[in-house]
Amino acid sequence: MTKARLSLLSSALLTVFTAGSHADQTTPLQGIIDKTPNFIALTGATVYTEPGKKLQNATVLIADGRISAVGTKVSVPAGYQQIDASRYTLYPGFIDPYTQYGIEAAKPAKPGSYRDAPVYKNERKGGNASNAAIHAEHNWVDQFQPDSKAAAELRKLGFTAAQSARFDGIFRGQAFVSALTDGLPNELILNPNGPQFMAFSKGSSKQSYPSSLMGSIALIRQTLSDANWYNQAYGKTDVRYFNEPIEFNAALQSLSNIERQGAIFETADDRSLLRAHQLLTEFKLDNAAMVGSGYEYVRLDEVKAMQRKLILPLNFPAAPAVEQVADQLDVNLADLRHWERAPANAAALANAGVPFALTTFKLKDKKDFWPNLRKAVQHGLSADTALAALTTVPAAIAGVADKVGKIAPGYQADLVLATGDLFADGEIIATWVRGQQHSIKAIAPVQFAGDYQLNLNGKVVKITLKGEADKLSGEATLLAAPADAKAVKLQHIHTQQQRLQFNLNLTELSGDKQIAQFNGQLLDNQLSGLWQLTTGSQAVTAQRQPLPDSSTPDKAVKPDVKLISSITFPNRAYGLPALAKQQNVHIKNATVWTAEQDGVLENTDVIVRNGKFDKIGKNLSTPRGFDVIDASGMHLTPGMIDEHSHVAIEAGVNEGTDAVTSEVRIGDVLNPEDINLYRGLAGGTTTAQLLHGSANPIGGQAQVIQFRWGESAEGLKMRAAPPSIKFALGENVKQSNWGDAFTERYPQTRIGVETTIRDAFVAAKEYNAKLAAYNKLSKRQREQVAPPRIDYRLQALVEILNKQRFIHTHSYVASEILMLIELADELGFSITTFTHILEGYKTAKEMAAHGASASTFADWWAYKMEVQDAIPTNACLMAEQGVNVSINSDDAGLQRRLNQEAAKSVMYCGMSEHDALKMVTINPAMQLKIDGVTGSIKVGKQADFVLWNTHPLSVYSQAQQTWIGGTKYFDINIDKQLKQQLEAEKAALVQKVLNAGDAAKAGDKDAYKQEEPEWHCEDQGDWWQIGQHLHRHSHSH
Amino acid sequence: MTFNKICLSLSVAAIAGLNIGSAAAHDMVPGKAQSSPLLLTGLTVHTVTNGVKADTDVLIIDGKIAALGQGLAAPEGATVLALDGKHLYPGLIALANQLGLIEIEAVRSTDDSTEVTQTNPDIKAKVAYNADSEVIPTIRSNGFAYSMVYPSGSMLMGQSSLMQLDAWNYQDAVVADGTGLHVRWPNASTLGSRWNPKPADEVRKANAKQLEALQQYFKDAKAYYDAEQAGLNKGVDSRWHEMLAVFDGKRPLFVHADDERQIRQAMLLANEYQLKLTIVGGRDSWRLAEELAAAKVAVIYTAPYGLPTRGDENYSQAFVVPKTLQDAGVQYALSLDGYWDTRNLVFAAGQAISFGLTQEQALRSVTINAAQIAGVADKIGSIEVGKAASLVVSEGDIFDYLGHKVTHLWIDGRAVDLNNRHKQLHDKYQQRINQG
Repeated sequence: MTKARLSLLSSALLTVFTAGSHADQTTPLQGIIDKTPNFIALTGATVYTEPGKKLQNATVLIADGRISAVGTKVSVPAGYQQIDASRYTLYPGFIDPYTQYGIEAAKPAKPGSYRDAPVYKNERKGGNASNAAIHAEHNWVDQFQPDSKAAAELRKLGFTAAQSARFDGIFRGQAFVSALTDGLPNELILNPNGPQFMAFSKGSSKQSYPSSLMGSIALIRQTLSDANWYNQAYGKTDVRYFNEPIEFNAALQSLSNIERQGAIFETADDRSLLRAHQLLTEFKLDNAAMVGSGYEYVRLDEVKAMQRKLILPLNFPAAPAVEQVADQLDVNLADLRHWERAPANAAALANAGVPFALTTFKLKDKKDFWPNLRKAVQHGLSADTALAALTTVPAAIAGVADKVGKIAPGYQADLVLATGDLFADGEIIATWVRGQQHSIKAIAPVQFAGDYQLNLNGKVVKITLKGEADKLSGEATLLAAPADAKAVKLQHIHTQQQRLQFNLNLTELSGDKQIAQFNGQLLDNQLSGLWQLTTGSQAVTAQRQPLPDSSTPDKAVKPDVKLISSITFPNRAYGLPALAKQQNVHIKNATVWTAEQDGVLENTDVIVRNGKFDKIGKNLSTPRGFDVIDASGMHLTPGMIDEHSHVAIEAGVNEGTDAVTSEVRIGDVLNPEDINLYRGLAGGTTTAQLLHGSANPIGGQAQVIQFRWGESAEGLKMRAAPPSIKFALGENVKQSNWGDAFTERYPQTRIGVETTIRDAFVAAKEYNAKLAAYNKLSKRQREQVAPPRIDYRLQALVEILNKQRFIHTHSYVASEILMLIELADELGFSITTFTHILEGYKTAKEMAAHGASASTFADWWAYKMEVQDAIPTNACLMAEQGVNVSINSDDAGLQRRLNQEAAKSVMYCGMSEHDALKMVTINPAMQLKIDGVTGSIKVGKQADFVLWNTHPLSVYSQAQQTWIGGTKYFDINIDKQLKQQLEAEKAALVQKVLNAGDAAKAGDKDAYKQEEPEWHCEDQGDWWQIGQHLHRHSHSH
Repeated sequence: MTFNKICLSLSVAAIAGLNIGSAAAHDMVPGKAQSSPLLLTGLTVHTVTNGVKADTDVLIIDGKIAALGQGLAAPEGATVLALDGKHLYPGLIALANQLGLIEIEAVRSTDDSTEVTQTNPDIKAKVAYNADSEVIPTIRSNGFAYSMVYPSGSMLMGQSSLMQLDAWNYQDAVVADGTGLHVRWPNASTLGSRWNPKPADEVRKANAKQLEALQQYFKDAKAYYDAEQAGLNKGVDSRWHEMLAVFDGKRPLFVHADDERQIRQAMLLANEYQLKLTIVGGRDSWRLAEELAAAKVAVIYTAPYGLPTRGDENYSQAFVVPKTLQDAGVQYALSLDGYWDTRNLVFAAGQAISFGLTQEQALRSVTINAAQIAGVADKIGSIEVGKAASLVVSEGDIFDYLGHKVTHLWIDGRAVDLNNRHKQLHDKYQQRINQG
C-alpha cells in the first residue's frame, strides 16, 4: 500500500504515461516496446455511473484503458494499483460536441471594403464546389493532430472527448470525435465519421455570393438538392439531358449521404434556430442537432416542437451598461431581459423536456464554463440534467454513446474526479482519459494542518498550520507566552509532497534578532526536521495534533433566483403579454369605408364572427357572447395594404451579387421582432408584400405578410397570397450609384438589362423543356439516365411562365417600362405590377393594355436622375387611363401613414376620397391577388380593419384599433399601458443590474441580438462582412 | 470630346426648347415688384400673432401689409381680389434645409451641400443657392415663401442664410444673411453604427476625441477673437475671422444634434462662451424640454414625421415632441431638413396638431417662431400691419390634405407663379390622353 501511495504522489500535477498507450498497431517495431501495465482501482468513491445513478462508497476498476467493473461490492483484484477516492466523487468524462479541437482554425477573411471589386467566382481545385463557402468534402479527421495544450485546457473543465470540425463556411465538412489526451491520432479517434457541421455564415469565403442570409439559405437549399441529384446522376452515362457526362463533385459526393452522416447546425438566436430547423426539415434532415444561443426560452413552444437535440453554449451576457445614467439611452428592454434570463435558459429547456448538450463554444474564456454552469443550476437546472448534458446527450449527438459518457464496464475509462458536488461547489482534481491519469491537483494530499510543538533554542514554540497543502498558512507562539500574546505569521511556507519548509522571524516572537528556517517532513503524523539558525542547526520532532474538523457537509444548491422580467410576444418592448386571440365582435355605429361599390356607409354596424365579416348593416342586434365596440364618431376602413415594403426582413434585403437571383426568398428571412410591424399597425397597416431589393434585374422571391405582432416568422406569412417575385430596372440594376468598383457585372446599361432578362427566360424555357422530356420517360427509362438537375434559380422563372408566380418590377422611366412590356409579350409572361413606376403617367396606356397594375409613391422625386420626371399626379393620371393604382411606402416611416399618402391624390388631382382609400386597400389587394380574402369590408372576407378617430384621409386621423382576421393587434389604449409597463420593468431591471455590482459586468458583451437596420431597396453589400464594412446608400429607392 | 458632345446635345435641346417655348413655359418668371395697391377681401385671416379673423380684408401697398380689417375701402388704383371664405396665412417658412443646394441627390455634380474639412465657419450656403432650381417652385406651390439653407458637413459646417423663394438669383433671394453658424455635433451615443459596429468602449473613446477636437476649434477661435480685440492678430485667419460675430453675439450658433448627451454638451459650450444656441434636429429634446426652456435654447425640430429614435420608444414619440416643447415653453420651429420633401413640412405640422398642438401653435411653428429663430420676426412670420406682404391663400385648412389648396402666394407683395415642373409634365401628358 505504501508503495502505491508513493507512486500516486509522484504523479501529482503531471500527466502519467504509464499505460494505455499501446504501441501503434500498424507501425513496424522500433526500439524497445512499452509494456507498462495499467490496472487501477479507485475505491470508496461516490460514483455517478450515469445521470441519475449514484453509488456511494463504490469501486471503479480500470484495465487497459477501459472500465472493467464498477459497483459497491467490487473488490480490488490483485495487481491493481489502488487509489483511495473516498473523499471524492467520480463522474463519467464529459464530451464537448462542438469544437475545433485538433484542427487548424480558418484564417478570417480580410476586412473588406465596399471599394473592393466583387468576386463572382470560386477558384476551382480538385472536385470542390462552385461556391467558396462550401467545404462539405472535408473529412476533418484527415487533418487531426492532438493538441496537448488545448486538450489540457478542456480536461481542466472535465472534458475527456470532443467532436471537432473547422468552424468555417456554410457546409463545413465532416466532424470527428477524439479523446482529449496525448497519443497517436489513430488511437485517439473515437468516431472518424461524425456529422456535417453547418451554419448560415459564409466565413472566410471571399466570393460575393451569398451576401445575405437569404442567399445563404438559397445556397444551402440548392446544394442539398444537388446532393440528392448527384446521388442519382453521377456515373450515369446517358447524356440525353447533359451535353457531357456528369462532372465529379467532391462536395456533392460527400453530401449525398448526409442523411446518414447527420448534421449540426450553428445558430445565432431563436429566429436563426427556427429558420435552420425549417430548412433542414425541408430536406428531411430530422436528426440534425442545433447549436443554440441562449435565446431558446423566447420561443420555447416552437423550440420544443422541433424535436431536435440542442447544443448550448454558456456565454451568458454581460449586463448592459447602466452604471452611467446617460448610457442608459443606449440600453433596451430586450437586452436587460436577456441578461436576466439567459442563465435560466437551460432550466427552461429542461423543464420543457428539450434534450440538450453543453459546449464550451462561444466562451471567450473557457474558465467561465463552470461558474456559468453553476449559475444555470442556481437558476433551476437540475444537476442530473446538467450531467446528462455533459455526458450521455453529447455522446449520442457525437455517435459515441456506446463508448463514452457512462461509467460502465466496457466503456472507455474516461473519468472526472472531483471534491464534493461539482454542480454546487466541487472542484475537479483529476481526469482519466483512456485510463491515462491527468492530475490537476494532488489526490489525497498530505494533511499538514494541525498543531505542532517544536523546541527552538530551549523554548517550546507552538506552530499552527491551516489549509490544504497547496494553500497552507501558519503562525507561531511561545508555549509559555501569555494567552493574549500576538502570534507571529510564518513566512515562505512551501510544501512538496511530505516535505515542509517555512521561515519564522524570532524578533517578534522572542526578541532574538534572526529568522529561523525550518526544513522537515511529515510521515505518519510525525514531523521531523531541522531549524537552521545563526548558531547552526537544531534537529527537532513533533507529533501532529489535527485541528477540529471545520468543514461543512456538501449541500445541494437550491435554485434561489427570482426573475423579475417578463417574456412577451415578441420578447421586446411593446411585445404582447400573450399571443393575441381572435374575438367575435359587434362594431356599432361607425362610418364604414367599404372599398367596395357600396362606398362609404354612415351609421353602420359590422359584425365579425370567427375572424370574418359576418354582417354589415344598420342597427344590427348583438349576437350572444359578442363583444361590443361603440364606434360612434369613428371611421372603419379595411386594414391598409402595402405593395412594397422591406420591414421585418433580417440580414440583408438584397442578394445583389449575381444579376439574376430568383432562387432567394424573402420568406426565408422574416424577422417577427421588427418593431416596425407594431408601428405599422399603429398606423393602420395590416398587410405588406416584403420585396427583395432592387440590386439586380431579376431579384428574389417576395413574401406577403400580415402584421400579426407576436407570432413567429411562419405565423406572419399570408398563406392566401400566391408566390411573387421582384424584378428591377434602371439605375440600381446597372449599378450606377454603387461606386467605381462596380463596373464589371453585366449589365451596366438599360440595354443590357433587356438582354439579361431575355437570356434568363430563354434558359428557363430550355430547362423546362428538359424537365418535361424527362417526366415523359417511363420509370425504366428514367433509371437509365441522369435526371435533370433541379435549378431553383430557373425554377422560379418557370413558375412565372406557368403563371404561378407574379412579377412586381421596380421601374421608373418610360423606356424601361415599354421595354419590359414588349419583352414580356415576346417571351410569354406578364407583369403583374410596376412598382415605383414614377413615369407611369407617360406609359399608362401601354400598361393598361398589358393588364399591369401600378404601385407608386405619392410624391417622391428628385433624389436620383431617373426620378426627375416624377410628378405627384402620377396616381391620378394612371388611374384615369384604366390602370389599377396603389400607393406604397418602401419605407418603415411612410408605412404608418399610407392613408395620408393616398390623400395626396385627393389634394393634388382631385381623386375621389373613396377611390383614394382604395389605393391603399382593395387596389393593392388586387395587385397581390388577395382581393378575394381581404382589402375591403365585405361579408365573408377576413376581418382586417382599422378604427380611426376621424376621417381616414385627414392629416388629423389616428388609428385607434387595428385588427387582422378578427384578432386585435393594436389598441391605442393598450399601447399606453404597454408603455408604462415597459418603463417600470426597465427601471426594475436597471436596479437589479446596479445591485449586482461588478458581477453583472462579467460575461459576453456580444451575446445580444443586434437591432436590425431599417432596410431600403438599395441597401446592398455583404451582410457577412458587417463588422468590417458595408456599402450603404441612403435615401434612394 | 465627351465634354463637347454634352455641350452640343445640350444646345440642341435648348434650341428645341425654344421652338416649343410658347406652348409650355419651361420656367417660372419671378414676380414683378408691386406697383399698385392690392386689396384682398373676405378672407379668414390667420394672423398668427393676433388670432384668427373671419371675413376680413387685407390691404397691401408697396409690398407691405398696409391695413387689416373688415370692410376696408379700396384706395384709388387698387386691384381688389375677392377671396371670400378662403384662408389667408403668412407665407410659410422652412428652416434648416438644402433647398437650392441639391438638385438631384444621386448626381454628384448637382450637389453643392457638403464641403470637406471640419472647420468651415467661413463658408456661406447662399452662394450656391440655385434660384432656378426645378425643386423650388414645387415647394412654393404648397405655400412656402422662405427657406433657411445651410451648408452640411461635419463639425463647423458654415453659415446659413434665409432666402425668399421667388428670385432671379441668390443675391436677390437673400432675406437675411449669415443667420447662424451651423455646427454638426460629434456622436455621443455608445452604439456604433449597425453597418460598422464597434465595442462601446471604442466608440466612447472616439466620441471623446471628436468632442475634444470641436472644443479646441472654439478655443482657437476665441483666442483669435481675444487677440483681435487687443490688436495682436498678425493676419486674417478667414475661418476664425468669420467667428468674430459669433463671439460678439451677433451670429447665433445652430448646433445639429439629436441625442440628449449631444444637446447637453452643446449647452455647456454655449454657456461657456455665452452664445445664443439653437438646436437643429432635437429628436431627444423632449427629454430635457424644461431645461431648454430655462436656458432659452431654441429648437428646430426636424423629425415631425420621424420613426422613434430607439426601439423602446413609443410609436408616436417623434410625433409628440412638438407638443412637449410647446408645453415646456421652448421656442421651436419645425423642419424636414431635406430639399424636395420640404413641401410636406406643412402636413408634418398638421400631424403635430393631431398629436397635441393647437392650429395656432402649429402655424407658429412654420411662421413666426421660425422667423424669430432666423432673426427676422420684425419683418415676416405674421400678418400684421407693417410687415412684408408675404401671404398665402388656401381654399381650406392649409395643414390638411382635405383642405390644402394653394391658390395665391405673394412674397413682398409680388405675385408668385404657382406653376412648376410637375404641373407642366402633368399638362403635357394630359395632352397624350386627350390625343387618344
